[in-house]
Parts: sequence; structure tokens; C-alpha cells
Amino acid sequence: MALDQPIADYETARTWRNGLKEQWGDEPDMTARFDALERFCVLTGRDPDAMIADCTRLVETGKRIRIKARREYSEKIAEFQEASGGTPREQQKLGNTVRSFFIHNGIFMQSGLAG
Amino acid sequence: MEFKEVVGRRRSIRFFDPDRPVEREKIQTILETARLASCAVNAHWLRAIVVNRDDLPEEKRNMLKTPVAALTLDLAPVHIYFFVDLGIVNRIKGSRLKQLVDAGALAPSHGWSHKFVDDFVYPQILEPMTRNLEGYVPAAFADAGGAAQNALLAAFDEGLGACLNTPNPMLTKQVFGVPEDWLSMWVMLVGYPAESWEAGGQRPRPDFEELYYEGEYGKPFRRDEAVVEKLKAAKMITAPAPLPDRKDEIRRLTEELGLPE
Repeated sequence: MALDQPIADYETARTWRNGLKEQWGDEPDMTARFDALERFCVLTGRDPDAMIADCTRLVETGKRIRIKARREYSEKIAEFQEASGGTPREQQKLGNTVRSFFIHNGIFMQSGLAG
Repeated sequence: MEFKEVVGRRRSIRFFDPDRPVEREKIQTILETARLASCAVNAHWLRAIVVNRDDLPEEKRNMLKTPVAALTLDLAPVHIYFFVDLGIVNRIKGSRLKQLVDAGALAPSHGWSHKFVDDFVYPQILEPMTRNLEGYVPAAFADAGGAAQNALLAAFDEGLGACLNTPNPMLTKQVFGVPEDWLSMWVMLVGYPAESWEAGGQRPRPDFEELYYEGEYGKPFRRDEAVVEKLKAAKMITAPAPLPDRKDEIRRLTEELGLPE
């Protein structure tokens, strides 16, 4: 799937960058991060904003996380990192990069420990 | 460690050293401390099941994970599942209160006797109380919570880290096959901290006067700064979070443990 604009221009990608900056205090180097996210988008066939939208829904009281969608994306991330090659540590790091995108967009997600 | 320092060093630890085992003796000490907690009518509602993380079959471990505690369950080598035994009051029927009379903890000077327990306390108060679940369950949980807090402090006194979490109550009952009248309360995750004991500093708390009153509602209990200074000297009130190096510490732990940034 080709993205219809540069990945950095997606609102959720900007939220991610801002979240990293706010958390760690310095300007994050997004090159490898955006590359990982873009590869994940190819796997899922969804752009960044669409993935976050998939994981949330609006109810009367505000925003809710769609548990099923989050679980599906969580499983996709596991699949993504396992298929990526490299050492278990490198695979975990790649998966965590994508998890970080979801986390900074308010989708609570945890990883297991590196194998 | 002095009591005040134990209180001052307690934090909810979320970064455990996953590979450093916890000595069985320390776990027993934690449980012994829970057992000595103050307890209404000497009933002792708290029950615990101690689980070594690595002895738990993966399927069961995964069942016990909640979205917010999946990682800490993987990190902590020991999990102590706390339950509340609602059936205890009707099994002991006041006998432990009579033990207190025999032990001299409850005395005629304060109106206590075996006959008072047999004729009045159990049949007229305790047994009916257990049928009013709206009142009984919170009371039993509050009591068990106090015992669990003893256990939590003991973990820190033993040089360990710990954190209380609320597991899925249905799944814990299923995984451990506990009696029908036990209710799931908390899981205390225990291990050696991978983070420093400060863990970023003492957590923010609401203002003292917002929480405590004197004589009547709305009249704050005045906080004496001289007492605060004494508690600082006794290491109970410690440097507040966030400590300046906390982000560096989280970054290091994230990297070491392979976690998302």
C-alpha cells in the first residue's frame, strides 16, 4: 500500500514525534522510526491515521479504545517483528518502535521481554 | 531499616530485574508480616497464593495478564495473589474473638466475655453482617487491604521492590481454583528493582490539608512544618518526583530491557 502523503505529514505521525520530544526532552531522530512505521503500514494496508482511528471510537462520554482492534494490531506488530529478521533483540526493537507510535497516540500497549 | 524509612522508600516498582530470584525466606517474611496485621474480630480474611513466575505455565501466565500489568507480570519473578475469604466469619463463629478474651486482649474491663460473643456478637452482629453483602464485602476488603499493606511494606524492608495490581477476578479464581467464597483482591508483584530505590522520587500526593480534617469536616488538620522537617530527617519524606535524572534512568531501563520508548 502506498501512502498518499509523506509519512511525517500524517497527524498521528506528528503526534508521535511531539510525544517523544515531550517525553525525552530532545528532538527525536525520526528517520528510522518513520521507516519502521511505513513498513508496518505496508503490512497492514493502512495509513498511520487510519490505524489509530481503527483503535478508537467515540462514545457519548468521549473516546474509547477498541480492545479487539488494539489486540489485532498488537498481534500484527508481533508478526511484523518476527518476520523482520535480525537478532531477537533487534526484532524486539523494531516492534517496540511501532508500539511507541501507538502509545504516543494514546493507545495503551505493552510488549513482552526481548527473547 | 527503621519504620519511617521503610515508608519513605516504598514506591510502586515497575521495573524489576527479571533474572534475579527472590529468596524464599523473604517471601515468608512478607507473609508473616501480613499475618500480624490488625484485624477486625480477629477473623483474618486475607489469603495469599504465592507464585514463582517461571513455574507458572505460559498459558496461565497469559491468562493472568491485564492490559496495564502484562509487562510487570513478566518482569517480576514472584507474584503474590491476594484473596478475601468471605466464608471465614461463619466458619469460625466468633471462636477467634474468644481466643482474644483468653489471651487477655479483650477483657471484662471492656465488657468482653465468652458468653457475650456466643450469645450476642456472633449470632446478632457477625452472622447477619455476612448476609448483607453490600456492607460485608467492603468491610472484609478493607481489612484484607490493611494486611496486604503490611506485606507491601515488608517487601521494601527486605530490600525488595513491589507493586500492587488488580487482576481480573474471574480469571484468578479460575487459574488458582480457589474456593467459591474467596474473592480476588490484588496481586503483589515482587522482585529486586532494576531501577534505583528512589525510582524517580517520592510520588506526588494531594495536599495534606485537602485529605485530613480536625474536629469536623472542612476544618483542615494543620500541618506543622517542624514535623515535616523531622520526617525528612527520619527519611520518611524524601525528595519528590521527578528527580532530575529520572528520564535518563527510564531511557537506560527501556534500552536494557528492550521496551518501547
